[in-house]
Amino acid sequence: MPATPDANLEQILQQAKAAVAAAQQPAELENLRVQYLGKKGELTSQLKQIGSLPPEERPKFGDLVNQVKQQVAELLSQKKTALEHEELAASLAAEKVDITLPGRGISTGGNHPVTRTMQRIEDIFIAMGFGVAQGPEIEDDFHNFEALNIPPEHPARAMHDTFYVAENTLLRTHTSPVQVRYMLNEKPPINIIAPGRVYRCDSDVTHTPMFHQVEGLMVDEGISFADLKGVLTHFLQQFFEADLKIRLRPSYFPFTEPSAEVDISCVFCNAKGCRVCKHTGWIEILGSGMVHPEVFGHVGIDSEKYTGFAFGVGVERLTMLRYGVDDLRLFFDNDLTFLRQFK
Amino acid sequence: MIISEQWLRDWVRVDLDANGISECLTNAGLEVDGIESMAGSIDNLVVGKVLEVSKHPDADRLSLTKVDIGDEQLEIVCGAANVRADLLVAVATVGAKLPNGLKIKKAKVRGAESNGMLCSAAELGLEESSDGILELDADAEIGQRVDEYLQLNDNLIDIDLTPNRGDCLSVQGVARELKVLADAGYHPLDIEAVDASVDEQIDIELEDSVACPRYLGRLVKGIDVDATTPLWMQERLRRSGVRPISPVVDITNYVMLELGQPMHAFDRAKLHEKIIIRQSVPGETIKLLDDSEATLDDDTLVIADAKGAIAIAGVMGGAESAIDDNTVDIVLEAAHFTRRSAAGRARRYGLHTESSHRFERGVDPYLPAQAMQRATELLLEICGGEAGPVNEQATSSEIETSAVNLRFERLQQLLGMPLEHKEVGDILGRIADSVSANDDGWSVSAPSYRFDIECEADLVEEVARVKGYDNIPTALPRIAPRSIAASESSVNIRQVRQTLVARDYNEAITYSFIDPAQHELFSNESAVILENPLAENMSSMRTSLLPGLLEALSFNAKRQHDRIRLFEIGATYHLSGDHSYAEIQRLAAVVMGPCQSSQWGIEKPKDVDFFDIKGDLEAVLGLTGIKEPFIFNEFEHIAMHPGQVSGISKKISAQTDLQENSKGSQDAGFVDLGFIGRLHPKLQKQHGLPANVYAFEIDIEKALLAELPAFQGVSKFPSIKRDISVVVDHKLAVSSLLVAVARKLGKVLVKTLVFDVYQGDGVAEGMKSVSLSLTLQYPDKTMTDEDAEDLTQKALAVLEQEFGAKLRD
Repeated sequence: MPATPDANLEQILQQAKAAVAAAQQPAELENLRVQYLGKKGELTSQLKQIGSLPPEERPKFGDLVNQVKQQVAELLSQKKTALEHEELAASLAAEKVDITLPGRGISTGGNHPVTRTMQRIEDIFIAMGFGVAQGPEIEDDFHNFEALNIPPEHPARAMHDTFYVAENTLLRTHTSPVQVRYMLNEKPPINIIAPGRVYRCDSDVTHTPMFHQVEGLMVDEGISFADLKGVLTHFLQQFFEADLKIRLRPSYFPFTEPSAEVDISCVFCNAKGCRVCKHTGWIEILGSGMVHPEVFGHVGIDSEKYTGFAFGVGVERLTMLRYGVDDLRLFFDNDLTFLRQFK
Repeated sequence: MIISEQWLRDWVRVDLDANGISECLTNAGLEVDGIESMAGSIDNLVVGKVLEVSKHPDADRLSLTKVDIGDEQLEIVCGAANVRADLLVAVATVGAKLPNGLKIKKAKVRGAESNGMLCSAAELGLEESSDGILELDADAEIGQRVDEYLQLNDNLIDIDLTPNRGDCLSVQGVARELKVLADAGYHPLDIEAVDASVDEQIDIELEDSVACPRYLGRLVKGIDVDATTPLWMQERLRRSGVRPISPVVDITNYVMLELGQPMHAFDRAKLHEKIIIRQSVPGETIKLLDDSEATLDDDTLVIADAKGAIAIAGVMGGAESAIDDNTVDIVLEAAHFTRRSAAGRARRYGLHTESSHRFERGVDPYLPAQAMQRATELLLEICGGEAGPVNEQATSSEIETSAVNLRFERLQQLLGMPLEHKEVGDILGRIADSVSANDDGWSVSAPSYRFDIECEADLVEEVARVKGYDNIPTALPRIAPRSIAASESSVNIRQVRQTLVARDYNEAITYSFIDPAQHELFSNESAVILENPLAENMSSMRTSLLPGLLEALSFNAKRQHDRIRLFEIGATYHLSGDHSYAEIQRLAAVVMGPCQSSQWGIEKPKDVDFFDIKGDLEAVLGLTGIKEPFIFNEFEHIAMHPGQVSGISKKISAQTDLQENSKGSQDAGFVDLGFIGRLHPKLQKQHGLPANVYAFEIDIEKALLAELPAFQGVSKFPSIKRDISVVVDHKLAVSSLLVAVARKLGKVLVKTLVFDVYQGDGVAEGMKSVSLSLTLQYPDKTMTDEDAEDLTQKALAVLEQEFGAKLRD
């Protein structure tokens, strides 16, 4: 006896279920779709039998076939999604990399530590409103000495160990001549810094024949020694990013009067006393003072109306203190092992 | 200057210990570099008198002594050769602990009992080393504590004096300063005139009374040739860092250390007729005390006799008039040589003496008379003899001191703080001889020894110093902005640095002076030469940054670095006409080794070549935003590989025109910027470098003039790319192809890329194939395939026409 049409449908559905479940590849699913749902598919051909049924059963049978078709289509779609997920998961797993391997490409170099410090100094003073001035490194006697109240054969010249290139022409021994040049050309109010190379005929553990300074100059009506203290305190606290103390001691520079040597509380031991500060708690950091009336005289600024202060700071020294460099000579060896420490 | 605390305390009564004194001086600008302690208190160390000396029976070099120390007599074994009866000695008795750590115990030395030790100067910490035991002077009392007798409880204060404070180069000077600073009790020496006991004197001819406003000479006859310098004086000299030599020399040194007046003594017997103070005669020679011979110029003050110079005034005496062991008659000199006459003279002859150090800084013009009396007094006391009268030659026109005014208002304004009128008056009173108040403030007559008080600012410093810099408040001034925001007319140097740093360059800073031999390898230019270099190989001012960078590269190559990339930004120095100099700011770079560091996942990187470093340079030049391409042209450079070097120039644009023209002429509207290339193989070999080195150097002020970006509009229409490959002569510069195509196609050609250059199979010998990718776009309409084809044909046509280029199959 042939099976009833309903029983046939049920059988086809069960077969399809089993086949879909067994499928491994998306291509098999496509084959199954054709096998069951295609134009000549098994379910489609079931519909073709509808004519052999009594008319009253036809609609019901038609519904039934459609239901089964939908069920099979649903099964195929679910299985397809599942297979796609599996496939993606497998490929993701296969593409896993060792994220600890180093990155590839070109690394970066670095600025020289002296440049790094100069840029920081410039940034601090520029933020305060100072301008940046430049002057020649081959200087004449007038700008380097005479106008700074250091006449020929002044004992202070002995401290300067000057390189000469010709009579009255020398490698500047400090950045102070830029003060003179600037004041000769500009009228107060003046507030500038002048960074650059300077030269002294001296070479040992703590001296190199070339080094860098930043000169500072502020001239206006009513500028006082207290202002000098304030500006330098602000600068040094910003530079060392520390609430350090500063101490001024009387000193002597021919181009400033009063003159002051400036110390900071030791940044290495918090002023408790250590090797760097020679157990004094203080580190000598720069020279400064109120611009000497003689200097104003040389540049044609009325010293009755205007007063001002000047200072000069050694860039290598600040760099050594900031980063703990213990040998001055390293700066000009240009050893990459050293330079690369200052990215 | 090193000063003995005990000596200082003879002059000043101050309630501070040595550290307190140091702090006080340092805070007032007399920076104390350090304090060195002498032995300090030593118990059981007393003066003894040697009563008997006999030989040790069992040791040749040892003696048995009996020593009287007052309350008892001790038997002590001594190994010194100079031990003898009647000698006064320092006896360390049992229980004494000496500065070198030695503890004295009762001992048996080769069987003989020893109850102490007779000490040497070294054992008491007086000298580094000494021969034999210390012989005390007759004024030592038996049983007296030696630490008291020798003032061992002393500290040596080392003061680093600034050049303006020559007045503090003596015990008297530092004592005076403490009087001012600490309001201490000041007790100057009471120096009395020593009357002449003989009439004889030396004739003095003061020829140059400007350089020497005052000269005092005094004859002392018949001194004892066997006299010795007393121990107390030797000690004070030694503690001041001066080596005792002979009584007369020691006395002059002592007076200098005590009062600040340098003195000199001549042997009368060696003087010809008289003393003349005059300027030197050019070429005149003098044999000096240090055995050197100086040839004088025409501008050096000398002391001379009838035959010639016998001393460089205030610097050093001559050997031929020097006192010696047999000198019996001497002439003492105490003079005032002005600062101007002393300035730089010692240096001129390669000398630096205690005397010149003081005269250059200024010595009190009223001091010679006092110093002469003091020296005579000491001389007669120590060496005996008969003093003649003081022969003083002086001019009336000497050293004028004018009063200096200090305005109270100005003082307060300069220091930025209010002050008490009375307090300022008190401070000035401690400093100056006479102070008178006036309407505005004070009129101050500075003491004759304070050469550093010349103007109001000097008095401001004096008040601030005594008041204490710490007491000045901190303020922040109003600051009129001077900082200028970065201009766009030239590339900021920081951007240049960032660009190179991002390309793995490290910045170097090399010396501005180089070895002339290196200079010659890089340039034919005559360099600026230092007259007094530190060394011959640091004597030539660089005209290029490359020699220094190459040295840095070699330095690193020798230290196991294989990939080296350095740049420097700095000046080069040039002669420009007579006594005129020019400085040019330059950027230079050197590279050697792999173009990338070795890393996993890629093949071993190739070494850098010309085009790698050219790319780096183009990245820097690209910062200018200049549209017109920089020009790489034929170039020769002695340090560079002739086949791999290029000059760099650019067209003068409207912007740069003005600046360039004002500087001078430029040929044909081009400005040279520098060069790029491979280091010549012979230089590479000379430096022992393992791989090819590439370098560039440009004038940054010229090269980094920038153009403002000028908006061009963005085409909405699609572009078309066409690739063409042409075969041309292998010597033809690719840039000329690009220029020709660009000129022909105009603005429609928005981009050209060289994507291949090939020689070899399929390309005829002596020819090369160049492949270009042209991007074509209209600003206002769609480019059709036909348009593109047409333009491509035009490009090919111009290449064929100008260079004989054939389309590659």
